[in-house]
Amino acid sequence: MILIGEDLNVMSKDLAQAIKNRNPDPVERCIRGQEMNGMDYLDLNVGPVKKDPVETMEWLVNLVQGITECPLCLDTTNPVAMEAGLKLCKKKPILNSASGSTEGKEKMMPLAAKYKCGLVLSVINDAGLPADADERAASIMESVAYANDLGIANEDIWVDPVLMPVGIDQRQIAAYMEFVRMLPDIVPGAKTTCGLSNLSYGVPKNLRGLLNRTFLVMIQRIGQTSAIVSGFDEELIRLVRGDLPDLVNLIHRAMDEDDVDLSGLSPKEVEYVKTTNVLMGRSLFSSSWLEV
Amino acid sequence: MSYEPPLEKYTVSIREVAWGPAAKLKKIGGENTLPFHYFEGALPNPAGLAMEILDVRPESWSPIVLEPFEDVVSDPVRWARKCIDVYGAEALCLRLVSTDPMGMNKSAGEAAEMAKKVADAAGVPLIVWGTEAEEKDAEVLVEVAKACSGGNLLLGPVVKGNYPDVSKAALEHGHAIVAQASMDANLTKELNIALCKSFPPDRIVVDPTSSALGYGFEYTYSIIERIKQFGLFDKDKMMLMPILADVAADCWRAKEAKESKEQGILWEAITGISFLLAGANLLVVRHPESYRLIREMIMEC
Amino acid sequence: MALKGADILKSLPKTNCKECGFPTCFAFAMKIATGGAKLDQCPHINPESKAELEALLAPPMKLVTIGTGDKAMVIGEEEVLFRHEKSFFRETAIAILLSDDEEPGVIDEKLRKIQGFHFERIGQKLNVNLVAVSHDSQDKGKYTSLVKKAMEFTDMPLLLVSCETEALLEAAALCARRRPLVYPITKENVGAALPKLKELKLPVGVWAKSLEELAGVTAQLQAEGIEEMVLDPGSKNMLEAVRDQTLIRRSALKKGFRPLGYPTMAFPCFMYSDKFKEALAAAACIAKYAGIVVLNQVDERFLLPVLVQRFNIYTDPRRPMTVEEKAYEILNPDENSPILISTNYALDYFIVSGAIEEAGIPAYLAIKNTDGLGVLAAWTSGKFNGEAIAEFIKKFGIENKVKHRKLIIPGVARKLKGELEEELPGWEIILGPQEASEIPKFLAEKWSV
Repeated sequence: MILIGEDLNVMSKDLAQAIKNRNPDPVERCIRGQEMNGMDYLDLNVGPVKKDPVETMEWLVNLVQGITECPLCLDTTNPVAMEAGLKLCKKKPILNSASGSTEGKEKMMPLAAKYKCGLVLSVINDAGLPADADERAASIMESVAYANDLGIANEDIWVDPVLMPVGIDQRQIAAYMEFVRMLPDIVPGAKTTCGLSNLSYGVPKNLRGLLNRTFLVMIQRIGQTSAIVSGFDEELIRLVRGDLPDLVNLIHRAMDEDDVDLSGLSPKEVEYVKTTNVLMGRSLFSSSWLEV
Repeated sequence: MSYEPPLEKYTVSIREVAWGPAAKLKKIGGENTLPFHYFEGALPNPAGLAMEILDVRPESWSPIVLEPFEDVVSDPVRWARKCIDVYGAEALCLRLVSTDPMGMNKSAGEAAEMAKKVADAAGVPLIVWGTEAEEKDAEVLVEVAKACSGGNLLLGPVVKGNYPDVSKAALEHGHAIVAQASMDANLTKELNIALCKSFPPDRIVVDPTSSALGYGFEYTYSIIERIKQFGLFDKDKMMLMPILADVAADCWRAKEAKESKEQGILWEAITGISFLLAGANLLVVRHPESYRLIREMIMEC
Repeated sequence: MALKGADILKSLPKTNCKECGFPTCFAFAMKIATGGAKLDQCPHINPESKAELEALLAPPMKLVTIGTGDKAMVIGEEEVLFRHEKSFFRETAIAILLSDDEEPGVIDEKLRKIQGFHFERIGQKLNVNLVAVSHDSQDKGKYTSLVKKAMEFTDMPLLLVSCETEALLEAAALCARRRPLVYPITKENVGAALPKLKELKLPVGVWAKSLEELAGVTAQLQAEGIEEMVLDPGSKNMLEAVRDQTLIRRSALKKGFRPLGYPTMAFPCFMYSDKFKEALAAAACIAKYAGIVVLNQVDERFLLPVLVQRFNIYTDPRRPMTVEEKAYEILNPDENSPILISTNYALDYFIVSGAIEEAGIPAYLAIKNTDGLGVLAAWTSGKFNGEAIAEFIKKFGIENKVKHRKLIIPGVARKLKGELEEELPGWEIILGPQEASEIPKFLAEKWSV
């Protein structure tokens, strides 16, 4: 499982401020922490960067490459900023992200081809988010064909099936998993990634990690090769790195069996089983899923 | 040609909620099948229908729907009696509009007094409804619960932000409640789980919040269908509560409803009957004609 | 349930030879699953898999086309019992009943209304779809001339209704090029009608008094090569209609029972003489699966609510309903009118525009494209934040429409206020009420230039 650390993100007020004021310290803390926890890539999410896009991106990429050897995943919706960043990367970066929309095809995909970098390619297209697995497949095939024509190989494509919050439509989780299972057939050689924390958007903060962790173990099992995750969730990292095999086995068992016997399990194990159940769509999700 | 009709049986029933004074006790829910599926299951209680009355003279009602009540709108007690005596209402929904903190902002005590008067004079099952201002509703509904102690009212809306106070008072004073979560099955379940820690599940009616034909109708329709099916198909205990669809205000706010009497009545009646088909167990309506039409349509069942 | 692309792929050669015209076998499988390609296009599939797949691919409910040209009505091929499972796809056709027993004046008036009838609501056309011509007099000549008249006066598809089989078939022959639906074919008359039906190749409306009998008649017709049928289970009231329609839909979709795998029809016009109840029964039949609903009224006040209900029921729940991005002018605003901004989620638009109308205060309602996301979701995803809105305000020249510089934003979007103050210098950003229902009061009390 290739882990991409998501924590350098302008959604964080402190970091947004630091980037705006060109203050290196908070950025450095954030980068070092994630690196120490073993992130394979570091996502630099600078948003749309309306002001000084080139200068901002250059400052940030140079700063981060001075701190770490870790390869980067550049995350901006601004193609000008994106190109400025890609130019400076010493190691092969990932462009995050393009979709199958006209904008993605015209602005982002050509950059990925030009700089021979990785490309996160989501299943979104001009019609929006596909409703089910088949529609995701139809969309991604079209986008991949377009990318291939630009000279981007499947091996450089990181397919993002787009993970929707469990509280919005639980059925999207099953569609996500169905799509991940079929992906090797439709885009052989490509990787998969996703913004994991979106799964638990809208869920009380103290419960979000549990949902994210459980789901990552579930999709790792069915062939997901990468995810964009919090580089500070140590339990998550240990789970997917094989340090907690008993918990992983328990989650796998809960995927296969409808009624795992809860007696004799520790409170933590019970939580993982209940969470697996709710993510498998066996019962309707509510933020009180651990209480029933 | 041999043909076996594909009947479906479900192993659980929607909870039965009984509310109102002992002599006119009204039961809703209790079915072990989909709405109107008499051919494959039991529906012991036909859907409940309540007519809406306000505790103040309505300000912005269309003349079409004001006309039947013109002579009584200034007096909630006479209004209640007219609904029962003239229009045959089996249940009422009293809206305590006067307590609106953005409006007249009357005190909880005054409102409770009025609720008591109406409850006594009506003698039929009564829903007492706040103004959907969370904090004020908590005060008002608690006072109403006390003032009408033992009256077995249906109090609402009870929401995530005010449920502990209202449900506690309802339990102490013998009332049922309407748990409201807006257009979201997950939140409906979450609120029910929270409530059921201290409140009996068979005293809860759920309100996924309603809408009118042309103005969000399809969302309400599907959320009602889904809530019912999470209960019946998936046997989710927290989703087996009967469902309220309060269509009165939304329907009569629609500009199409105000264009003509016929269109207005159908705007409300079609919205109402559609939500019953989706799975609502209790409707609140405004116009006596839509009340009569819906009742006659479902009573032939 | 419809077959999925991945299931189809399993039976394909998976060589990606491209001879089918698609880049990969999976692409081809997806196209087949969604009806965009035929199995025959694959030259390498083995005959066994092909036969198996073909059987599985046939939709469990047939498609039926009534009429020709751009007013043709296509019903059937529905995939679910509940709209939230996927969507209902082909709107119930609303038929208006004409009888040869009615006074010529009444008929003329009805025809005039039917032909002229159309509503438009937020860019959606709401129409009735079929003219049902019913033979109730004893006079075959009268019926024939009514059919001729209906053909002449309208270009809508026809539904021929006559219990006199001979008259029915004559009428069918008369308007065969308009592809009418021929009704009723029953256990009793199917034998006599078959030769003519085979010759004319028209869609057939089948009536029976039970579902079992219905299945018998459709099987007989199907064996003779008649594919397009519409089923009338003869329901006498709303309750029976719910039962019959549900059982037919279930038999077709969940049991794969081919003899009932056709769209259906219902006659609220014969269930209730009260026009209100007829409309209510129509709404019930629309919600509960009828492919055609026949009504005996042309009064707009009764039809509009039914048509709006149909539109709502058939909205695709998988896609948020959206409205066009622009500055809507409500009640003829002028340069001093307020500007409110909201998302293009259709529900937001309806509720806010309705509230402004209720307030009776002319205003601009600026609707920003958020791909159908509501205020908070759109804000989170960057489609309704300060930058996006500032850009939108400039793009649509909203500042040129008014003299003031005040913008009212949804009350739930508190954080947006600060963002917009930064992005739109010189503008006063006013936080509106939390609930749209408070807009009238808000405008009345707070708005001044």
